[in-house]
Amino acid sequence: MGAECTHCSPGPVHRTVAWLQSRRIWRGGDPGGDVHIPDGYLSPQTCAVMYGAAVPFWLAGARRLRKVVKTRFVPLLALGAAYCFLVMMFNIPVPDGTTAHAVGGVLVAVLLGPWAAVIAVSVALGIQALFFGDGGVLAFGANCCNMAVAMTFTGYAVYKVMAGRAPLTAPRRAIAAGVGAYVGINVAALCAAIEFGLQPDLFYKTTASGAHVPLYAPFHLSQTVPAMLLAHLLVAGVAELVLTAGVITYLQRANLPILRINQRTVSERDGERVGAASRVPLRGLLVGLGALLALVPLGLLAAGGAFGEDRPGDLDLKRYGLDAVPSGLARYSDFWSRALLPGYDFRHGAHPNVGYYVSAVVGTVLVAGLMFVAFRLATLAHRRRRTAPARVTAVEVGNERVEV
Amino acid sequence: MTAPTDVTPRRARLAPDWLLRTEVGLCPCGCLGKPRRRNLVARTLRGLSELVRRAMFSDDVAGAPGLLPRLDARVKVVTLLGLVVVAAFLRSIPMLGAMYVAAVAVAWMSRLPLRSFLARVWLFVPVFTGFVVLPATLNVVTPGTIVVPLGTWLGGSVGFTAEGLESAGLIVMRVALSTSLVVLLTLTTPWARLLAALRSLRVPTTVILVVAMAYRYVFHLLTAVDDMYTARRARTVGRDLDFRSGRRFVAASAGALFGKAHALSEEVYLAMVARGFTGEVRLLERNRVATRDVIWCVMCTLAAAAVLWGDRVVG
Repeated sequence: MGAECTHCSPGPVHRTVAWLQSRRIWRGGDPGGDVHIPDGYLSPQTCAVMYGAAVPFWLAGARRLRKVVKTRFVPLLALGAAYCFLVMMFNIPVPDGTTAHAVGGVLVAVLLGPWAAVIAVSVALGIQALFFGDGGVLAFGANCCNMAVAMTFTGYAVYKVMAGRAPLTAPRRAIAAGVGAYVGINVAALCAAIEFGLQPDLFYKTTASGAHVPLYAPFHLSQTVPAMLLAHLLVAGVAELVLTAGVITYLQRANLPILRINQRTVSERDGERVGAASRVPLRGLLVGLGALLALVPLGLLAAGGAFGEDRPGDLDLKRYGLDAVPSGLARYSDFWSRALLPGYDFRHGAHPNVGYYVSAVVGTVLVAGLMFVAFRLATLAHRRRRTAPARVTAVEVGNERVEV
Repeated sequence: MTAPTDVTPRRARLAPDWLLRTEVGLCPCGCLGKPRRRNLVARTLRGLSELVRRAMFSDDVAGAPGLLPRLDARVKVVTLLGLVVVAAFLRSIPMLGAMYVAAVAVAWMSRLPLRSFLARVWLFVPVFTGFVVLPATLNVVTPGTIVVPLGTWLGGSVGFTAEGLESAGLIVMRVALSTSLVVLLTLTTPWARLLAALRSLRVPTTVILVVAMAYRYVFHLLTAVDDMYTARRARTVGRDLDFRSGRRFVAASAGALFGKAHALSEEVYLAMVARGFTGEVRLLERNRVATRDVIWCVMCTLAAAAVLWGDRVVG
C-alpha cells in the first residue's frame, strides 16, 4: 500500500498512520476530554467505596423523579440518557483548531434538573461500559461519582448562583451554564486525579529489599492533580463550556419551552416576575451577611498581624539585605493614616473592640451600597439597550416557536 | 485495501460490507490522500458510523456458534465479571499473564476473530496505558533499585527502576486482562439477553427498562444527528468550518437534538400509556441453565481459585 501510488508520495509517517488507520488500530485521537477510568487503574477496594458512594445518589434521584414526573420518568430518562450518550460523541471545536469531546452532564442538569442528570449520565456511562467497552465495569461507580454526581451538582450549583434571577432569555444564563460546565468538568477531573493519586500510597506490595511496588495507578497526588487539571483547564473544560453555553444560547433563541422544563418560576423577559420565589435570594443574602457580622469578634481573638500588612517598622530589614526603610515606602506608608477608621479603630484608640466592630459594619454597608449603585446603573443601561428595535425580532422568534 | 476480516462464517452478517470497510481517501491506492486533519463534522460522522459498526459487529459475533455465545447470559455475566474482580486482586505478573492466555483461548474457542480480539487489546493498551504509565517506571516517580540508568539529570541520577517496571507491567497486564474479559462478555452476548440476565440478577426492572429504551433510542437519535451532519457536509464547499461557525453549528445541532429527544420522549410516553403502561414493568425471561453452563461455572471457579492461590505463592 502506498509504495506504488501515483497520486501521492507518502512519507514514512504518513504510511504508518495510513496503516494504523486501515487496520482500525488508531483513529486519529482527540486530545483531553476523557475522564473515563478503565478497569485496572483503581483497586477493587476503591471501586467498592465509589459504588457505595454512588448508590445513595441513584436511589435519591430515582425516588425524587418518580415523585415529580410520575410514570413519565421512564421515557424521559431513557431519552435523556440516549441524548447524553450522543452528546459525548460530538466533536466540539476548541480555539486551537482541534476538537475535543464533552460529557454534557451540566447541560442536562440545566435542562432537566440535577437529579435527572445524575440518572441520565449514569445510564449513558453504563451503556458505554457494558455494551461498548469504554470505561471500566468495576470503575463504573467511580466514573459515576466523578461525572454523574460531582460534576453535575457542582456545575449546577455554580449555574444557579451565577444565573440568579436573570430572565430566561438573558445572556447571563448561558454564561452561567457555560461557567458551571467548566467548573463541573474540572471538579470531575480533580476527583479522578485524587482517586488515582491515592492508589500508590494505599495499595502496594513490599519487595525483599523493602521497596514499594505500586499495584494500581502508580502516580502520586502531586503528579496526578496537576496533570489532570492542566488537560481539563485548557482543553476539555473549554469544550464543555463551548457546548453548554452554545446550546443554552441556541435554545433561548429557538426553543424556549425546553428551557422552561427545569425553570418554571423564572420569567421569560425582564420586568416579569413569576411567583414569590424572587424574595428568597435577598433574604438568604441578608441572613448570610448577618451571620458573618456576628462572627466579627473572631478577628479580635487572632494573634499577630495579617500577612502582608506589616508596618515598615515591623519589617525584618536584614532578611532583605536593607539598611533602612526605603524612602518611598516610608513616605507613602503613612498616607492612609488620615482615613476615617485607621487600623480598623477610632482615631483616639480608646475602645479598640468597639472600633473594630464599627469598622466591620461601616465597611459592609459601604461595599453593599457601592455594589447596589453599580448594579442599578448596569440594569438601567441594559434596559435602555433592550428597548432598541433589535429586540422585536427576538420576541417574534420566541412566539413562533411556542407553537412547536 | 484489505477485505473485512471480522466475518463469522456460518451466519449471514447483519453489517454491510461498506460499513466494515475503512473510509478511504480520494486517492485510489487507499492511502489517506493528502494527510489533512478531518474537520469536526467529518470526525463526528466517523465516530457515529464507528458506533453503529461496533454494535452490528457484536450482534453478528454474538449469534455465532461458539463456546461463549451458547452459554446462558446470566452465567456469563456472573463468571466473567467475577473474573474481572479476581483480576483486580491479583498482584503478580505471571498469574495475570496466565489468566490472559486463558482468556485468549476462550476467545478462540468462542470463534471470535482472534486478530481483532488481540489487536483491540494490545494496540490499545500500549498506546494509552503504556504511555501514561511509562514515566512511572523512572525513579523520579517510583523510587527503588535502578536497573537501566539514563545518566544524570538536574543533579541526580535518573533511570528505570525494577519496582517501577514491575508496577508498569502489573497495570498494563491488568488493564489488558480486564478489557479482554469485558470484551468477551459484550461480543458474545446480544444486548437484549444481557439486559435480561441483569434483570434476573436482581437489577431493578425500572433501571433495565430505562437502559433498554436508552440503548434503543441512541440509534434512533443517531440517525437524526447523522442527517444534520451529512446535510451540513453536503452544503460545505471549500474551507473547513472555523472555530466560530463550528461552535455555532455544534451548539445548534446539540440543541436541536435535545428538542427532538424531548418531543420523542413525550410521544413515547403517550404511546406507552395508550398500550396500557401503568408504571409497572414486566420483562420476558428465559431461564435455562444447561449442563455446559454448570461445567463452565465450575471451571471458572477452579481457575479463579488456582490463580489466587498461585498469586499467594508467587507474589
